[in-house]
Amino acid sequence: MTRRVYLDHNASTPVHPEVVAEMLPYFSDVYGNPSSVHGFGRDARAAVDAARDRVAAFLRVRPDELVFTSGGTESDNFGVKGLALARGRGHVITSKVEHHAVLRSAQALEAQGFAVSYLPVDQHGMVDPDDVRRALRPDTIAISIMHANSEVGTIQPVRAIGALAREAGVPFHVDAVQTFGKVEIDVDAMNIDALSFSGHKIYGPKGIAGLYIRRGTKMVSIQHGGEHERRRRAGTENVPGIVGLGKAVEVRARDMKTEAEAVSALRDRMWEGIRARVLEVRLNGHPTERLPGTANICYRNVESESIVLALDLKGIAVSAGSACTAGSVEPSHVLVAMGVPLDWAMGAVRSSLGRSTTAEDVDYVVASVTEVVRRIRQAMPVGAA
Amino acid sequence: MRYSPTLVDHFLNPRNAGLMREADGSGSDEYAGCGDLTRFYLRVREGHLAEARFQAYGCGPTIAAASVATELAAGRAVEDLATLKAQEIEDALDGLPEDRKHAAEVAAGAMRAAALDALRRRHGNREA
Repeated sequence: MTRRVYLDHNASTPVHPEVVAEMLPYFSDVYGNPSSVHGFGRDARAAVDAARDRVAAFLRVRPDELVFTSGGTESDNFGVKGLALARGRGHVITSKVEHHAVLRSAQALEAQGFAVSYLPVDQHGMVDPDDVRRALRPDTIAISIMHANSEVGTIQPVRAIGALAREAGVPFHVDAVQTFGKVEIDVDAMNIDALSFSGHKIYGPKGIAGLYIRRGTKMVSIQHGGEHERRRRAGTENVPGIVGLGKAVEVRARDMKTEAEAVSALRDRMWEGIRARVLEVRLNGHPTERLPGTANICYRNVESESIVLALDLKGIAVSAGSACTAGSVEPSHVLVAMGVPLDWAMGAVRSSLGRSTTAEDVDYVVASVTEVVRRIRQAMPVGAA
Repeated sequence: MRYSPTLVDHFLNPRNAGLMREADGSGSDEYAGCGDLTRFYLRVREGHLAEARFQAYGCGPTIAAASVATELAAGRAVEDLATLKAQEIEDALDGLPEDRKHAAEVAAGAMRAAALDALRRRHGNREA
C-alpha cells in the first residue's frame, strides 16, 4: 500500500480520539433539545454549559461572552457584519489577505453603502499597524484583521492593532480560526472585541465554531429565530459538536505548547530538505512570526496543481496556492498582495503539518517533491509562465 | 480521482517530453487567462510524422494531453495533423472533466500549428 501523508491541517484535521469518545453519547444517549424544559433537554443544556465553560476558561473570558456558531465562515460573517450593522453606517478597515469569509462580508457591506479600506501587506504578508492608524477616520466603526493567515501562516501584529483600535474607540474583530488552539491568544492584552474560532482546525469536529464578543460590545445578530445563545444566534445548538469543541479545547490546552515545538521543527526540516534539493524555490510568509506547521513554498515555473496531483498520486495531501477553475487560473490573493511575481505565485504549494506528522513523513515528502518537480520541469518550455 | 487512469499514466510518465533540435516543424498554443502553454516539435519523413516531442507548462491534464497527442499523431500524414481536433485528444485520454477541456484544446492547437509550420517549410523548400 502507498504511504499516506496528510499535510493539509490548515484545511481540516482528524478528530482527536479523546474528542470522539466524549462526543459519542451526545448522538444517541443525550439527544434532547437544550431549550426543552424536561430532563432530556436539561441534560443536553448541562453539556452545552460545561463545554462553554471549558472554552471560556481556555480563552480566559466569561462564558456569556461566547456564541457557538456553525463554522469559521459564520463566525466571520457574524463578527464583521454584526459590528458594522449595529452601527448602521460608516467605515470598516480590513486587509487584503483576509479569508474570503471576511473579505466577502466586507464586500457585502460595501454593497450596502459602507466604506471599506483593504490594507496592503508587506512582502511577508504582514499588515503595518501604521497603515491601520493612517486608515482610521472619524467614521470608522470596525476593524477586522486576521490573527494568522491560513495560506502563508504569517501572524499579524494584532496586539499593536488592538491598541490603536482601543485608543480610537473602534471595535476590533479578529479572525483567529488558524491560531485558536495553536498560538497564545489574550483578548484583553490584544484589545480584541470579537474573535472568530473554529473546532475542526484543532482536532475537533466540523460544523462547530464560535465567536467571542466582549461584554458591552454593540453587535447585531445575523441569524434570526428562537432565543438561543442569549438571543444572539438563533438555532438549536449542535450539542455533540459543542461537546466536541469543549473537549478539543481542553486537549489543546494540554498539548498545544509541546506540539507547536515538534511541528515547527518538522516544518523546518521539510523546508531545509526541499531547499537543499530543488532549484528555484522560495518559502513564503514571515520568517519568524508564523504558524508552527505551515510551509507555503513556491516552485518557479511549475503550476501548483500539477504538483498537488503528482503528490496526491504518491499518497501525499497538500493544497495548491493557485486555483484553476474553468480554464482561468487565479493566483492566491494573499500571494498577489505580498507582491510575489506571477511565475512564482502560480507554483505555490501549501503544506500544513499536524500532531501526527512524523520525521519519516517529512522525509518521504521531501524525496517525493524533489522527484515530482524535477519531472514536471523536464516537460516545461523554457521561460514559460 | 477525477482523472482517468490513462490521463494519470501520461501525466506521470509523459511520452516524448523535451526539446527537438532542427525540427521540420514546430508550433505552440496557449490558453489565455490560464497560462497553459504547449509546444510541439515534429520530424517529418515523406509527408508523415516520424517523431514528435513536446514541452508543456500547466496542470496535470495539460501535460497528459500533450503527451498523448505525440502518440496519436505518430505515423500520420502531416496534412491530417493540420486539422487535428481537440475531441480526438480528449478521447485518447478517456475523457476530461468539464473544467479541464482546455487541456485538449491547447494540445490540438499546438499540434495544428506545428503541422502547418511543417507544411509551410516543405512548400518553401520546393519553391527554393
